Amino acid sequence: MYYWHWVRNILRKPYTTGYPTQDDGVVMSMLNSDGITETFAKNQSPMNRRAVALRQVDAGSCNGCESELSLLSSPDYDLSRYGFSLAPSPKHADILVVTGVVTEPMARVVKAVYDQMTEPKRVVAVGVCAISGGVFRDAPGVIGSLAGIVPVSIQIDGCPPTPGDILRGLMWAVDGKDPQVDREVLA
Amino acid sequence: MSISLDLERELTIHRYSNSEEWVRGVKKRRDGAEILMLLLGDHDLEIVMLQRSTGEIERLMVPVTDSPMVLPSGFGIGEVLATEERIREEETRLIFANAPYMGKSVKGKGVFTYPLGPVRADVSEALLYQLQVMGDEIVRLDLVHRLKERHVRDLCQGRLVSDGVRLVERTTGTSTVAHALAYSLAVEQALGWETEPGVAHGRMIVAELERVYSHLGDLAALAVSTGMPVPQMEYLHHKEVILRLNYHLFGHRYLRGVVVPGGVRTLDIRKPLDTVRQTIVSMRDTVERIQDDLGRTTSFLDRLHGAGIIPTETVDFVRPVGPVGRASKRGYDVRRMRPYLDYAGVDFEVPVLECGDAFGRFMIKVSELNQSLSLLRRLMASEDWMRAPDLERSLNRSNGVGIGVVEAPRGLLSYRVEVGRDLIIRQLDVSTPSERNWFVVPPAIANKNILQDFPIIDASFGLSVAGWDK
Repeated sequence: MYYWHWVRNILRKPYTTGYPTQDDGVVMSMLNSDGITETFAKNQSPMNRRAVALRQVDAGSCNGCESELSLLSSPDYDLSRYGFSLAPSPKHADILVVTGVVTEPMARVVKAVYDQMTEPKRVVAVGVCAISGGVFRDAPGVIGSLAGIVPVSIQIDGCPPTPGDILRGLMWAVDGKDPQVDREVLA
Repeated sequence: MSISLDLERELTIHRYSNSEEWVRGVKKRRDGAEILMLLLGDHDLEIVMLQRSTGEIERLMVPVTDSPMVLPSGFGIGEVLATEERIREEETRLIFANAPYMGKSVKGKGVFTYPLGPVRADVSEALLYQLQVMGDEIVRLDLVHRLKERHVRDLCQGRLVSDGVRLVERTTGTSTVAHALAYSLAVEQALGWETEPGVAHGRMIVAELERVYSHLGDLAALAVSTGMPVPQMEYLHHKEVILRLNYHLFGHRYLRGVVVPGGVRTLDIRKPLDTVRQTIVSMRDTVERIQDDLGRTTSFLDRLHGAGIIPTETVDFVRPVGPVGRASKRGYDVRRMRPYLDYAGVDFEVPVLECGDAFGRFMIKVSELNQSLSLLRRLMASEDWMRAPDLERSLNRSNGVGIGVVEAPRGLLSYRVEVGRDLIIRQLDVSTPSERNWFVVPPAIANKNILQDFPIIDASFGLSVAGWDK
């Protein structure tokens, strides 16, 4: 009996916001306002030319990053409007999203998933743990950073990074430049 | 057997001379109690249990001798299966016979093993499911875990109590507050610290906020597993609203660093508190409407009713906790059994159902969500918690052992912390609700369900792998 919701949702203002991050003014203005403001990236082209499939691998996270990644498909962030989708198989994926500190058993899995992906491919490390090992760096049976296992294109900092940060990092990984600062970073 | 009593810390210590007496003692006392954890110290093997009626914590200890000690098969206490697995590897002096409840492996023509994981589905945690199927029917499930063990226990040893909280709250991301709270309560008990009244109030607010967003996430996952994107989106949106509220009030979306031993940290409230209360009230209405609509959607209900029923013998043996246990007639809630913080003074219901299927777990989560939202509305009515002190104080420094037990969103969570006079953690032990409840998942899934039911049953449990491989 969801027809009523459908009608209501068509008439209502969308929940969708831009990709707020904690470092810039956009998120601050959004968080301080009572309503939900619609914000978009500065250089957002009217026509999207991305069709990028993501494959997420948990290498030993606390499930905080997973929680934020699953919020990407929420109406507030809606990753599909930027042309992203989650692929069930690494063979279909363009970007490998790795969360959590890399443990010894999972290092093998991450490498296998990376090898299964077809070129061109990128790797995005999500969260402090995947970048440097975070608080679990010195734990037994933990390798730590993802960088030594597969080549990492973009590191998204945060514990956990907000969905807005993740979206921004994903766009950065695809376009080769920060969608907000408009700066050449990747070749 | 000798009994000693430490009145100040509400702990009764029972000492047994040999293992047979100990096992008999544990089995006798177990009926009216919840087993919190099984511990292996340098000299003793210990069971910590919580008496349901009195809220008293009992420690049953037996010395570990050098000659191998044989404990009976599964030793009748399913709750400690996860710890048993770990001890079996670390300690040669103890021999545990195989747990009988798992059933036998299946072989034969037409039986296939379908491996699923550790990389699977949309966004998921690392766990390997070995599904044995015959046609569509799942006949057996084996879970291969320990792929992402981070050894939080070992890491905490030798650290300051204030550093330990940063580690324990990263055990499970979506139970950050519950872990920090149980740890803080244990440390405060061990050191004899007292907190001011405002602290307890503030901690209750963050604990309930966490229960709300965690349940909203679980319900969204359950909705999408049955192919219902509209309620999924509604639930996810509300989860995001709560996470933003957390950021406003406490400075972190997942409430990290808010609960610390000795206090609770709050921000200057930048958003008027009236708006926050209004958000909570309107969310309660919307959530109830979603629930009503789902309750009238037959395509949703048909998939949940009768799916993943936990067999009665498994419930009796493993004794699941939290929403999973409450959906199978085990209506125990730590907030009632042993009221911590100010839970004794607030009114809330503990929902219990008997069906033990996916629908039961859905209904329990929905009514807990409603309960937590109305609890939050009442808690936020007073403003005492905003003046809560945020300093860690070392009043009367003592050393000792403390036990903290809380009701995490997924169930009973307990910490046992041994702290020295120098505020350094000597030993830390934890028992999470997920590590207990994962043991009911294989029998529930291999219970006349077909492969298409698997994602729904899996989502209805809503357990975390991080809490198991901690």
